[in-house]
Amino acid sequence: MKRVLIACGTGIATSTVVADKVRKHLKANGIEAKVDQTKVSELHRGAKGYDLVVATTNVPKSVEAPVVNGLPFLTGVGVDKVLDEIVEHLQD
Amino acid sequence: MEAITSYITDLGAAVALPFIIFIFALLLGQKAGDAVRAGLLIGIGFVGINLVIGLLGESVGPAATAMAENFGIDLTIVDVGWPASAAIAFGTQVGALAIPVGLAVNVVMLALGLTRTLDIDLWNYWHIAFSGALVAVVTGSLPLGVAAAALHMVILLAMADWSQPLIEDYYGFDNISLPHGTSAPYALFAIPLNAAFERIPGLRDWKADPDTIQERFGVLGESTVLGAVLGLIIGLLGYGFDDPRADSIAILGLAVNLAAAMYLLPKMVAVLMEALIPISEGAQEVVRRRFPGRNVYIGLDSAIAIGSPAVIAVSLLLVPITLLLAVIVPGNRVLPLVDLATIPFIVCIMVPIFKGNLIRSLIGGTIAMAATLLTATAMAPMVTDVAASVGFEAATDAAQISSLVDGGNPLSGLIVWLGRMEWVGIGILAVVSIAFAYLIKARVTSKREFAEATPEAN
Repeated sequence: MKRVLIACGTGIATSTVVADKVRKHLKANGIEAKVDQTKVSELHRGAKGYDLVVATTNVPKSVEAPVVNGLPFLTGVGVDKVLDEIVEHLQD
Repeated sequence: MEAITSYITDLGAAVALPFIIFIFALLLGQKAGDAVRAGLLIGIGFVGINLVIGLLGESVGPAATAMAENFGIDLTIVDVGWPASAAIAFGTQVGALAIPVGLAVNVVMLALGLTRTLDIDLWNYWHIAFSGALVAVVTGSLPLGVAAAALHMVILLAMADWSQPLIEDYYGFDNISLPHGTSAPYALFAIPLNAAFERIPGLRDWKADPDTIQERFGVLGESTVLGAVLGLIIGLLGYGFDDPRADSIAILGLAVNLAAAMYLLPKMVAVLMEALIPISEGAQEVVRRRFPGRNVYIGLDSAIAIGSPAVIAVSLLLVPITLLLAVIVPGNRVLPLVDLATIPFIVCIMVPIFKGNLIRSLIGGTIAMAATLLTATAMAPMVTDVAASVGFEAATDAAQISSLVDGGNPLSGLIVWLGRMEWVGIGILAVVSIAFAYLIKARVTSKREFAEATPEAN
């Protein structure tokens, strides 16, 4: 099971929207993954144990997992491209 | 009619809102099953928030009162934070109207060319609901409350257009603006302050490194640890330590309860937001279809700007500063708690105005936080009344409540202050806000449109 972390300023405000869309898309593509939410200020020790971070804002340098920019989920521009990118990262 | 209104009021927001959301969701074309789920989720979010702010009031209230008696530090107004404020706002009658009214204002302003921002961040319409609800409670008039909310929207859209060029330069967001009630109003502090700083030689060049600060103070950004530490301090000051057994139990209990409240409150709001997603998506679709094209800024939550190292560094340092301010600023009675975690939002528009300079941002932030605490103190009786009116009695019995966001927001404070003068005040607000929008349009937005039309002039 893959683990995806959605990060934003509050861990709620925008990440809830992104998490909802990522969960639905992964399910539709048959990828089993656990999707968690957090806020960036909790990330200063890194994101250990996660295969992918989707962030709607900058993340600290300490994050070692690959990071995908989640901004398109909020603006609605380029959503498909980001979804493809996320799927690509999670397929072995 | 009166019987129906009083019945709805007695039902409370946790029961009434599920029905409203269910109907909205159906109107926007959701399936009946999904609409029922969305409605129930919003009720669940309300019940959860009520439980957690109840816990907050019960555990912090007595300790804060004891602290006031022991040391004369009167911080008996509990800061329940933006999660509770948003829930309170959406639970009122103005709250039920905020999204359609706010969207209508936005569409009209776009059509008139008075703004370039399309605010698709419907969740954050709670800010206009909050000021509107307070005005409605103070004046006893729903139309006045709705008018205040509509004018709040006008000002936020103009502010978003105003700060957009700075946001785009500093954060690199293309065609995104931040008409966010939490952060946008603080430009009013930052712009004049930055102009003043430019004239003070020492301040002009003084710099500090954000990454070092984030490494050293990072733990202050973890709400749970922060909550526990605050619980220990407040407990120690409140209960003393003359009876080690009883006092240690009380102090440690407060530390864990406070950590729990800081952790759980945002989770409960996530439930509320999940319920609003289908509605927000549906409405976004409708509006987007009307305003296609690239000449519109997409208005988003300033959560997208919070990750900037300078914003995080300034916010971390402002946590202890705000606690100190709470004690030393004359007239403050608010005990900053939940919204200590929201400080990044208060500073995230200020930092780009100070061009990312930490020292300036810190000084500007300190001044803004002092003003925020005093506003939150002044607004506390009204916030407590509105909270009780939507069924959050558990919290309001124990203590007075307020919040830094938006209870302490200078713009919300100004709107409520004008709102107290009823139609005269709202009339003044209408003239000022529309003039402000027009000025921003003439000074900032038109200049930019000209530059875009003639790229060689750049």
